[in-house]
Amino acid sequence: MNEVLWAAQAGYPPLATLQWLPLAAAVLLMIMREDDLALVLGRLFAVAELVVAIDLYARIDVTRNVLQFAERLDVFAYHAAADGVSVLFILLTALLGVLLSFYGMARQQLTPVQLLSVLLLIESSQMVMLTTMNLLWFAAASAVQLALVAYLLWRWASAREENLALSRFLQYQLFGWCLFVAGAVVLVWSHADVLGGHWSFDLFELLQTPQIGKYQSVAFYLLFYGLAIRTPLFPLHGWLPNSAGYGLIAVGPVLLLGVKVGIYGMARFLLPLTAEAVMIWQSYVVAFAMVGVFFAAIMAFRQANLRRLMAFAVVSHTSLIVIGLFTLHPAGLQGALLLAVNFGLAITLMLLMVGYVYRRTGTTSLDRLGGLFDRVPFIAVAFLIGGLSLLGMPGTPGFDAVHLVLEAAIETFGALPTIATALGNVAAAGFLLWAFQRAFLAPRPRDLPAARIARTSPMEYFVGGATLLVLLAAGFYPEPWLQLTDTATQALAAYFQHG
Amino acid sequence: MAELAAWPLLSILLALPVAGALLTALLRRAPWAQWIALGTATMTLLCALLIVAAFDRADPDFQLLDSADWVSGLGVRYLVGVDGLSLLFLPATALLFCGAIVAGWRVRAAASPLAPGLYFALLLLLEAATLGVFCALDSILFFFCWEFTLLPLYFLVSLWGTGAGRQAAAVRYFLVMLAGGVPLLFGLLALVFGQAAGGALAFDLPTLLATPLPESTQYLVFLLLLVGFGVKVPLVPLHTWLPSLAMGAPAAVTALLVGLKLGAYGLIRFAIPLAPIAARDLHWLLAGFGTVAILYGGVAALAQSNLRSILAYASLAHVGLVLLGLAAFSVSALQGVLLQLLNFSLSAGGSFLALAFLQRRTASTDISQLGGLLRSMPVLSGFFLLFGLAGIGLPGTSGFPGELLIIVAALHSHTGAGLAALFGMVLAAAGFLAPFRQAFFGPTCNPDVADADDLLPREVAVLLVPGLLILAIGVYPLPVLELIRPAAEAWVAALAGL
Repeated sequence: MNEVLWAAQAGYPPLATLQWLPLAAAVLLMIMREDDLALVLGRLFAVAELVVAIDLYARIDVTRNVLQFAERLDVFAYHAAADGVSVLFILLTALLGVLLSFYGMARQQLTPVQLLSVLLLIESSQMVMLTTMNLLWFAAASAVQLALVAYLLWRWASAREENLALSRFLQYQLFGWCLFVAGAVVLVWSHADVLGGHWSFDLFELLQTPQIGKYQSVAFYLLFYGLAIRTPLFPLHGWLPNSAGYGLIAVGPVLLLGVKVGIYGMARFLLPLTAEAVMIWQSYVVAFAMVGVFFAAIMAFRQANLRRLMAFAVVSHTSLIVIGLFTLHPAGLQGALLLAVNFGLAITLMLLMVGYVYRRTGTTSLDRLGGLFDRVPFIAVAFLIGGLSLLGMPGTPGFDAVHLVLEAAIETFGALPTIATALGNVAAAGFLLWAFQRAFLAPRPRDLPAARIARTSPMEYFVGGATLLVLLAAGFYPEPWLQLTDTATQALAAYFQHG
Repeated sequence: MAELAAWPLLSILLALPVAGALLTALLRRAPWAQWIALGTATMTLLCALLIVAAFDRADPDFQLLDSADWVSGLGVRYLVGVDGLSLLFLPATALLFCGAIVAGWRVRAAASPLAPGLYFALLLLLEAATLGVFCALDSILFFFCWEFTLLPLYFLVSLWGTGAGRQAAAVRYFLVMLAGGVPLLFGLLALVFGQAAGGALAFDLPTLLATPLPESTQYLVFLLLLVGFGVKVPLVPLHTWLPSLAMGAPAAVTALLVGLKLGAYGLIRFAIPLAPIAARDLHWLLAGFGTVAILYGGVAALAQSNLRSILAYASLAHVGLVLLGLAAFSVSALQGVLLQLLNFSLSAGGSFLALAFLQRRTASTDISQLGGLLRSMPVLSGFFLLFGLAGIGLPGTSGFPGELLIIVAALHSHTGAGLAALFGMVLAAAGFLAPFRQAFFGPTCNPDVADADDLLPREVAVLLVPGLLILAIGVYPLPVLELIRPAAEAWVAALAGL
C-alpha cells in the first residue's frame, strides 16, 4: 500500500482542515452567546467545510491506485489519507452537515447555537473516522461521536420515555464499541507476535506483515460485530427502532444513519485486514443479510409509526449493502459503497421531511396523519423520491448501485438467492408506499384541520430541494461517482482475487 | 426526406413532452396549463408523424438512430431508434395522449384541490416515458423508461382516480409492476452476461441481436422476460391488477393503460428475438397463455356490471389474441399482431375516452345507473358503438384485418387454439353487445342521464380522429401492412434462420 503526501497535491493539508475546521467552529460557537450572528457563523462554517470537501474531490487523482493527501504525525500515531471511497463519504458528511445546520436550527428549537456546536463536533469526529488510517484513532473518534450523539439525544429529548431509548442506545453502542476495540487488540497483538513485540495500529504497517492465521477469524468476528451494531445489521439492530421513535426528530437518526461509517469501516479496515477470514465466513454473513432483508421488511409492515417504520427500512437496505460488500467482487464492492452513500442521502431526505411533518402535526403516528399532500405537496414528493431511491428506482442513484450489487451477486451466489433478495427489496418498497399513502394521500383525520398545516416554507424548499437536486443529479448522471470509486474498489477487490 | 432523417427527431420527440411537463408544472394556473399541455401533445403528435414521414419504408433495420454516452463505466448508452415494428406505436401513443389531455380539460380544477397543472404535467411525463419505451434500443434505457412510467401513473390514479378503491389500486399496480420489474431486469442482465462471456458488457439492442446467446441461457432469459412482460401484458394469472385499476383510475388514464400494450411490445422487441431458440421451443407456452386469456377474458367480461370492467376484461382477451398470433412466428401473423395492437390503441383507447366523457356527465359507468344513453347522447353512443365494434373485429373496421390474419395463422400453426380463438370472438361479441344494449338502449331511469348534454365539439374532435382511422384502416389496411412488412420479414427470418 502506497501513499502520496499532501504537499504534493495541495497547498494546504486538506484532511487536517476537514477535521479541525468544524472543531474550531464548535469551540467558537460555545464561547459565543445564543444569538442570530452565532447561527449564521455556524452555518457558514458548515458551508466552508463542504467547500473544502469539494476542493478535495477536485484535487484527487482517481486514476492512481494510492492513498492520497497523506498526513503523518508520529508522536500521536496520527496518520490520515484518503482515496476515492473516503472522498465520497467525506462529501456526503459535509453535505449532511450543511443540510442539518439549516434544518435543525429552527426558531422554536431550544438553544439552537448549542445544538449547532454539538453538530459541528460530531461532524469533526466523523471526519476523523473517515480519514484516519489508524484503528485506534478510528475507535477513539467513534467513542467521542457516540458520546456526543448520546448527549444530543438526552439534552434535546422531548419526552420522558426517551430515557429508555437512550439507555438501550448506550448499551448497544458501548457493547459494539468494546467488541471493535477487542477485535483491534487481537489483531494487533497477533501481528506483534509475528513482528517480535512491535505494536502498531496503523493500517499500512498491519497490511505489510503477513496474514496472522488462526486468530484471524476471532479478529474478524469481533471487528465485524462491532461495526455491525453500529451500522446496524440484522439481528443487531435492537437499539435503532427505539431511538428513531423518540428524540429530536431527524437530527439524531441522520447523524447515525446518514453516513454509514460502519460500512466504511468494513471496507477500510475489516476487509483488507482479515481477508482470509472474510473469504471463509462470507457465506454466513450473506445468509444473515438475506434473512435481514426479509425480516426487516416484515417488521416494517407491522409498524404504526412513520419513524419506526423508517428504522426498519434502514435495517432492510443495510442488509442489501452488506450483501454487495461480501460478494467481494469489484462491481459488488463499488455498488455497495455507492449504495451506502445513496441510502444515506435518501434516508436523510426522508427523515428531514418526516421532521417537517412532525413540526406541523406534532406526531408521526400513521393513524393520526393523512391528507398532507394537499397542503405540502413538495414535502410529500420529496419523501416519496427518497423512498424510491431506497428501492433503486431508475433515475435515482440507487438504481445504478443496486444494479451493480445484483450483477455481482448473480456472479457470486447465483441467480435464485439474488432474485429473492431483489424481491425482498420490492417488499421494502411496499411498506414505504403504504406509509406514503397513509400519511400523505389518505383522508385527513378530523383532529388535523387543514389550517393547522402550514405551507412549505422557503427554508424547507431549500433544504429539501438541495437534497433532491443532489439525489436526482447523481441518479441521472452517475458517471463521476463511478469513476471516483473505481480504482479504490478494484484495489480492495484485489485482496480477494488470489483465493 | 433524407435531410429530415438527419435530424435527431426521436430525441426531439422525447424531449418535447418533458419540456411541456416542466412548463405546465411551473405554470399551474388552470387555463394556461391545459393549453400548454395540449399544445405540447399536439406538437409531439406532429413530430411523431414527421418520424413516420422520414422513415424509409424499404429498410428493415433500425433507423433515425440517435446516441450519446450515458454511463460509460457500465457500458450503458442513450440509444434510440425505430424500425417497422415500433414505428406506428409512436403516433398512436401521441394521439391517445392528446385525447387524454382533452378528456382532463377543465374538470380537474373542480375535482381536486390540487393544482390542475400537475395533472397535465404528470400526463406529459407519462407520455415521455411511454414514447421512451417504444424508442429505446438500449436495454437499460428501456428498463429505465419502463419503470419510470410507474411514477406518474401512481399519482394520476391515487390523486385523480375515482371511487374508494383508487389508492389501493394504485399501490397494487405499483407493487405488481415493481415485482414484475425484478424478473425483467434479471432477464436483461442474464442476457447481457450470457453474451458478453467475459468481454465488455454491451446493453444495446443491435449488438445483442447480432450476438447469439448460448442455448441454455436462452430458456432462462426467455422465461424471465416472459414473466416480466407478462405482468404488464397482462397474462392471465398475473392480471389481477387490471380490473381494480380500470375501476379506480381516471377513465382517460385507463385509456392509456389499456390502449398502449407495452407488455406485448416488450415481447415482440426483446423476449422473442433475443432468445429465439427458446421462444420457438416454447411456442406452446405463448399459444397456451393466449388461449387462456381469450377465453377467460371473454367469459369474465360477461359477468361484469360496469362498462369499464367489461372493457378491462375485453382487453385481456385482446392481448390473448396477440399472444396467439406471436406464437405462430409467421410474417402475416406478425403483421396481424401489430395491426391488432394499433387497432386496440384506437378502439380500446377510444372506448375509454368515450367512457371518460360519459363518466363526467353521469358520474357513473355502472350499467344499472345507465340506460337510454342513446336518446340523450346519440353522438357519444355512436362513437362508443364504433369503437366497440372495432374491438370485436367487425369487418369494415380496423379490428377485422388484424384478427383475420392472426386467426388464419393460428388455425394453421395451433389448430385447437385457433378454434378456441374463433369461439372467443363470439364471446367477445356477446360481451360487448349485451351490455351495450342495456346501457344505451332501453328506458332512461337515471335523471343524470336524461339531462346530460351530448359531446362538446372538442370532444367530438378527439374521438373523430381514431374513429376515422378505424374506418380507413378497416377498409384499406394495405399501406399499414406494407409499412410493417420489411421489419416483420426480418423478424421472422431471424427466427427461422436458426
